[in-house]
Amino acid sequence: MTGGGLNALLEGCTQCGLCREVCIVERLGAHSITSFLCGEEDYSSWLCSSCWRCQEACPQGVDIHAIMMEMRRDEEAPAGHEANLVSVLRSGYALAMSEEINETRRIHGLEPVELVPAEWVHALLRGQEGREKGA
Amino acid sequence: MAFFPGCLVLQRMPQYEKAARRVLKELDIVLESIPRAACCGAPLESFTDEWLYLAAYNLALAEGMELDVLTLCGNCTNTLLRAKAALTDPSLCLAVNERLHEIDLHFDGATTVRHLIHVLSERLEVLREKVGAELSLKVALTHPCQAFRPHEILGFDDPLQPQVMRRIVELTGAEVIAYEAEYDCCGSTLYLADEELGLEAGERKLESAAEADVLVDACGNCQLLLERFQGLMKGRAPEERLPVLTLPQLLGLAMGMAPAELGIGSMMASKLQGSLA
Repeated sequence: MTGGGLNALLEGCTQCGLCREVCIVERLGAHSITSFLCGEEDYSSWLCSSCWRCQEACPQGVDIHAIMMEMRRDEEAPAGHEANLVSVLRSGYALAMSEEINETRRIHGLEPVELVPAEWVHALLRGQEGREKGA
Repeated sequence: MAFFPGCLVLQRMPQYEKAARRVLKELDIVLESIPRAACCGAPLESFTDEWLYLAAYNLALAEGMELDVLTLCGNCTNTLLRAKAALTDPSLCLAVNERLHEIDLHFDGATTVRHLIHVLSERLEVLREKVGAELSLKVALTHPCQAFRPHEILGFDDPLQPQVMRRIVELTGAEVIAYEAEYDCCGSTLYLADEELGLEAGERKLESAAEADVLVDACGNCQLLLERFQGLMKGRAPEERLPVLTLPQLLGLAMGMAPAELGIGSMMASKLQGSLA
């Protein structure tokens, strides 16, 4: 939903490096999207903890999240993210959910919940058809 | 309010939901489950713009109930609110509604979404009245990143060093300690991409908070990584385990509720015993 694509999103970036300074992934010695923004080649757009600190710290208001989302669509997804995608497409939830959830809820004194019908999930996300089979 | 638990809390943390419902009831806030609510849409966003359909679907359900939404997870809060903001674009909104109409739903943008911390922060006075017990605990806080950032969407508190959670917890008499990694992310989403790195982020946070008696969080993701996965962290011996509670569990204890009412197990309760005057 970014309109002008990657180049337009990158326009404001001055490579000042503030995003990389606050990045938890960089502090752990790995390389995130913030390394890409600083002109490095060793990075993965998937190495991110979604903490949004980089974007908050950016003095230019660069939409780093949108850049990352654009780039992820061209890079192979890690298994954990892929598994969540497949689960949502199959069931409507990131974790496999079934009516058994209500038995657990009963034990905890919680009212039962009504889950999303699978056919509604398929109707809403039909552009992804076939992907639910997994990579 | 309409209650949106999110996948993690719904599937794995009924204790967090139970405590939130119990504590909010004391503040005269009744949580109504949203029938047929699904995932917020976050796991789809890295793959497709159709994440907006799922987010809008959930918001449309809450609109139908004519209630604002309360969340327990930073990620869901952030995702639903960003979707709401994106759908102020008329052409996007039209596209989303075309699909929602197929299942007899409509998105207007009439409902808002608030994280538990935000809701509690607006009721500090009532909360103060309800808190009876003085907890003699040293508490380390972990602030749910995505309940505060991006600030232009979440719109409350200091986005880089949030303060309201501290003000809420201080009402319990507990001593809130400052620690180096307080404002760092737990690493939960990072775990999806790289398990070792995610655990390392969590471990750094827990080590930095070692002086505390208990770590308090308010997000399904933080609870997953810092509590459930603590045993997977290489450098942490079982006897070094830091007890982790969710915010409403701590508040419930300070309101004099029994641990079992708050989904706090007997082992955790015995660890905390002596701190509950």
